[in-house]
Amino acid sequence: MVMSLEGISLSRNGKQVLDNISGELGAGKIIALLGPNGAGKSTLIKAMARLLECQGEIRLQGRAIEKFSAEELAQHLAYLPQHSQLQFPLEVEEVLSLATLPFSLTRLQQRQQVKQVISDWGIESLADKDFRQLSGGEQQRCQIARTYLQLSNMKAEGRGCGLWLLDEPASSLDLEHQQQLQKICLQATQEGHCVVIVLHDLNQAFSLADEVWLLDKGQIQAQGTTTEVMTEQMISNVFNVSARRIDDAGKSLFVFG
Amino acid sequence: MIKKLLISPFGWLLGIVLSIGICMGALFLGSIDVQTLMNSDIGSKILWDIRVPRVLLAFVIGASLSLAGVLIQSNVRNPLADPSLIGVSAGAALGAALMIVLADFVDFQAQYYIPVAAFIGGILATIAVLKLGRNDLPGGMALLILAGIAINVVAASLIGLLTYLATDSALRHITFWSLGSLASANYFWLTLCSIALLIVCFWLPKQHRKLDAILLGQAEANTMGVDVKRLQKQSIVLVALLAALAVSACGIIGFIGLVTPHIGRMLVGASHRYLLPLSFFLGGSLLVIADSIARTIIAPAELPIGIVTALIGAPVFIWLLLREGRRLQW
Repeated sequence: MVMSLEGISLSRNGKQVLDNISGELGAGKIIALLGPNGAGKSTLIKAMARLLECQGEIRLQGRAIEKFSAEELAQHLAYLPQHSQLQFPLEVEEVLSLATLPFSLTRLQQRQQVKQVISDWGIESLADKDFRQLSGGEQQRCQIARTYLQLSNMKAEGRGCGLWLLDEPASSLDLEHQQQLQKICLQATQEGHCVVIVLHDLNQAFSLADEVWLLDKGQIQAQGTTTEVMTEQMISNVFNVSARRIDDAGKSLFVFG
Repeated sequence: MIKKLLISPFGWLLGIVLSIGICMGALFLGSIDVQTLMNSDIGSKILWDIRVPRVLLAFVIGASLSLAGVLIQSNVRNPLADPSLIGVSAGAALGAALMIVLADFVDFQAQYYIPVAAFIGGILATIAVLKLGRNDLPGGMALLILAGIAINVVAASLIGLLTYLATDSALRHITFWSLGSLASANYFWLTLCSIALLIVCFWLPKQHRKLDAILLGQAEANTMGVDVKRLQKQSIVLVALLAALAVSACGIIGFIGLVTPHIGRMLVGASHRYLLPLSFFLGGSLLVIADSIARTIIAPAELPIGIVTALIGAPVFIWLLLREGRRLQW
């Protein structure tokens, strides 16, 4: 088990944003957080990344998350935010190299890793460009590459399996790169890491995730395997849409309307 | 590679700039004159008691303000920030104005107390800004910026009151103090400001990547292992120290802390590995050149250096902005 949450609650301006959330994140699993807008998905993932103070207990690798220093925490989890906020002229290569910050690497090792990730992700043409001048999708690909590089170093440095938190990573990606993202997530789980991913595309969640946490109004409405959680009735109730699930040859597809 | 090449010439230019600064003045010292003067009592006094400490102090203060500008802009993630944002300049000006008016009223020689009052005023104003903006310090800098604006407004209004109450001579003294001057440069201020600058220069090499991470966002920086709260507090304390000492030594010198980081970023980008050393050299060199102009253009009188930095710096900045306009998205 990589992370456990018990009784996680958070209120903001008198509104209960997270309400008594509990669960476990296992190594080698992909857990999808699903729910309508304002359900608390991004808030929950930020709480997992210790970016918000909340009630309850979060344990990472068996230790209370508050006990980790900033550097130690970064050696066990990597977080991809929903939006990029860079307002200064940093090159893509410089952004990618920040993934090596929590680890004790020489400058040569940092450069080699950055070159490798640029090659693996096919972003050679973007490497020396100003990050702010990239399209939304290109920025997202670079950020995914950066966090994946951070995750890869956890294994290399003997930290064991890490936790990869992705907040809507596919929102700006085209179909090709959404598929690339899926492959990378599966690769990460094969290496033993745990991936928590916020998705809006239910079919994507169905094909990718091992487990689903379905949230609404800050509460977990259902938690379990995709087949158990993503029933027609549950999806229709939570998303307030008419949904039909088609099962064929071991695969499932949701149709709406 | 290109970025390294852009920085290294500045090391060589430093020697040239400092030499020009030492030679220029109401009495021009050519290379032959320097050798002759070093052997004469009066010449030696001009060189070692006046020119050398003044030029070196100009460099140290220029470098200090420039590094303070980089630190504050990176920590608040706002390219329009400058060291005065944390209230240090306004607080120092208030401290100095208070001492000038008090000295005039009570009739005592305040020349040694004005810098002390300025330093205390600058530090107290920064503490007030940190206390007011504290709730937001870990999460974002918006409240800190607003607190800085509030303290600046309060200090400005109190300075206004003091100028209203001041005698003509005190008013003139306040005005010229606030325009900045290196005329009273000496080895005491050079030593003090150099120590502060050295402290920052020893601290910076371990922080430059963390400062890069903060540019991406505080959440990203936290999850890349940066203790953002701690880094921001340390940065603000050092900015306050550098700026308060600079203002105490020579009054208010604008432009350097705001614009030099911009010029640096236009040349080498925002990576602090290159930006910090370049800003160090740029800021120091610019202030040496500005001071050289200030004390020669209407020699034997001197222009306040704050006027020179504004008159030269602002048009240069506008020209650079127009030239780089397509690539700028700040």
